[in-house]
Amino acid sequence: MFDSVLIANRGEIALRIQRACRGLGLRTIAVHSEADRDAIHVRQADQALCIGPAAAVHSYLNQAAILFAAEVSGAQAIHPGYGFLSENAGFVARVEEAGLTFIGPSAACIRTMGDKVAAKRAMRAAGVPCVPGPDSTLPDDSAAVQAIAREIGYPVIVKAAGGGGGRGMRVVNDEAGLLDALSLTREEARRAFGNPEVYIEKFLLHPRHVEIQVLADSHGNALWLGSRDCSLQRRHQKVLEEAPAPGIDAGVIAAVGERCAEACRQIGYCGVGTFEFLYENDAFYFIEMNTRLQVEHPVTEMTSGIDIVQQQIRVARGERLSLTQADVSCSGHAIECRINAENPETFAPSPGLITGWELPGGWGVRVDSHAGAGYRVPPYYDSMIAKLIVHGATRDDALARMRLALAEMRVDGIATNLPLHRDIVQEQGFAAGGVDIHHLERWLQRRNGA
Amino acid sequence: MDPQQIKTLIDAMASSDLSEMEYSQDGWTLRLVRHAPALTAGDAPRVPAAAATRAVADRPRVAPVVESASTSELRAPLYGVVHLGPAPGEPPFVAVGQPVKAGQTLCVIEAMKVFNEVRAERDATLQAVLVTSGQEVEAGQPLLRFE
Repeated sequence: MFDSVLIANRGEIALRIQRACRGLGLRTIAVHSEADRDAIHVRQADQALCIGPAAAVHSYLNQAAILFAAEVSGAQAIHPGYGFLSENAGFVARVEEAGLTFIGPSAACIRTMGDKVAAKRAMRAAGVPCVPGPDSTLPDDSAAVQAIAREIGYPVIVKAAGGGGGRGMRVVNDEAGLLDALSLTREEARRAFGNPEVYIEKFLLHPRHVEIQVLADSHGNALWLGSRDCSLQRRHQKVLEEAPAPGIDAGVIAAVGERCAEACRQIGYCGVGTFEFLYENDAFYFIEMNTRLQVEHPVTEMTSGIDIVQQQIRVARGERLSLTQADVSCSGHAIECRINAENPETFAPSPGLITGWELPGGWGVRVDSHAGAGYRVPPYYDSMIAKLIVHGATRDDALARMRLALAEMRVDGIATNLPLHRDIVQEQGFAAGGVDIHHLERWLQRRNGA
Repeated sequence: MDPQQIKTLIDAMASSDLSEMEYSQDGWTLRLVRHAPALTAGDAPRVPAAAATRAVADRPRVAPVVESASTSELRAPLYGVVHLGPAPGEPPFVAVGQPVKAGQTLCVIEAMKVFNEVRAERDATLQAVLVTSGQEVEAGQPLLRFE
């Protein structure tokens, strides 16, 4: 059982993980790039090591440097956070070979879920509802592919088995476009993911993005912690998330949640994870599983009252879950706004020095952030500088609290998407709840056209 | 006149709709020109066309213009990492002494995974490279000098 954790990440999530470790009495080791040497979590760590220059490929993605830092610092476990190496099965294998604990699922689980076709097959076996279409890659024979697509019914979507997160896919509206789309996606997939295998599914026209948070230990116990709705997206990037997904019958969510927990038991999953679904016409369709902690985990923490990061570390330590499904009850409603250093109109990135920083506060308001006045947002990493999270007794209550919190928050010196969020929470369609994944882009187009 | 003072004046101009401003003090003269008739940022290819045009239009391209009859300087349109060539190890977009045409890519500024191409606004000849590829550059920092 480990009592020291190397945090192989940066920004708000490094700080979040550090807080969880401290709450459990664990020693923390921060590894950082040259650009992050003044970060709060670096200052507060029991030990800090610089692992390379600013560019992530030479630091946060440098597996050898991270493993070496673990060795010299005597760290016994590595927490990958999200992004970077968090879903890299090869890295997990190296961590285990070095005799360290990877805080996350096994390399085998990550590998299965990273192959979207293998994942779909595993989910079907566990009774998790999937998007219509075969759980195998497409044959080379054109006539056979056309027959499969005809059986599914157009429009269909051609996806790379090695893709995910919205990359490596192409929508096909009729048979005339099928074969071209197929060869293009194959070629892209070969280049981008080193795996030319593709598969096809029914393309849903107006789905919502609804996901289920799971938590599993290494003793065969698995729980689901409620639903989240992440339909507000721009270019496949989530902008605002909420828990629970509004307007969906609790019994329906519970049935899907239980299938997800069962899938975890069947594949021997340990740690936290997220099953992502498309939701259309009252039905759930599995799209992929994220085998890591997610950016939007706080909305589930706020509604379930469970510290997800602490639980993740505890199950990695080999502890048995002290909760049962009956202990998990979600109350109220939580919303998270991702505050990014970007122009709210054009979305152009806006790194630079933050000269003024005022945070909202009060009952039911939480801000997860590594930034502040005097912090210089580096141009090397992603643009998220804070997560503003609120909790309320009802969705309307949470929305009202978010409007006030957004009005209170001020960031000077750089452009942020605060004005965009202020508009979103006033917008009627979103306020009504249950919008689809194209809602935000449609609304932006209308706004820009006006 | 100290850098802080200059910065204050740039900010004052950026928040106004002035196209030109001249300020004199203690024998110094600072002239600020918006849309300097030099070389400026072009569209960013990884940003949708509409967004890119607006990104450029919205960004106050205010930079102190070094008064000289024959040379002009290309300045960084935003804070980021400058790349002088299309990929590491590949030759630069332009070499010293080489003529450039309007619209030609001169360098790329990377900020938060977005690559912003900087293009020539008119024909000129590259006289000097003032930065190293891969270096962090401030908004407004001189990158290339042309004649």
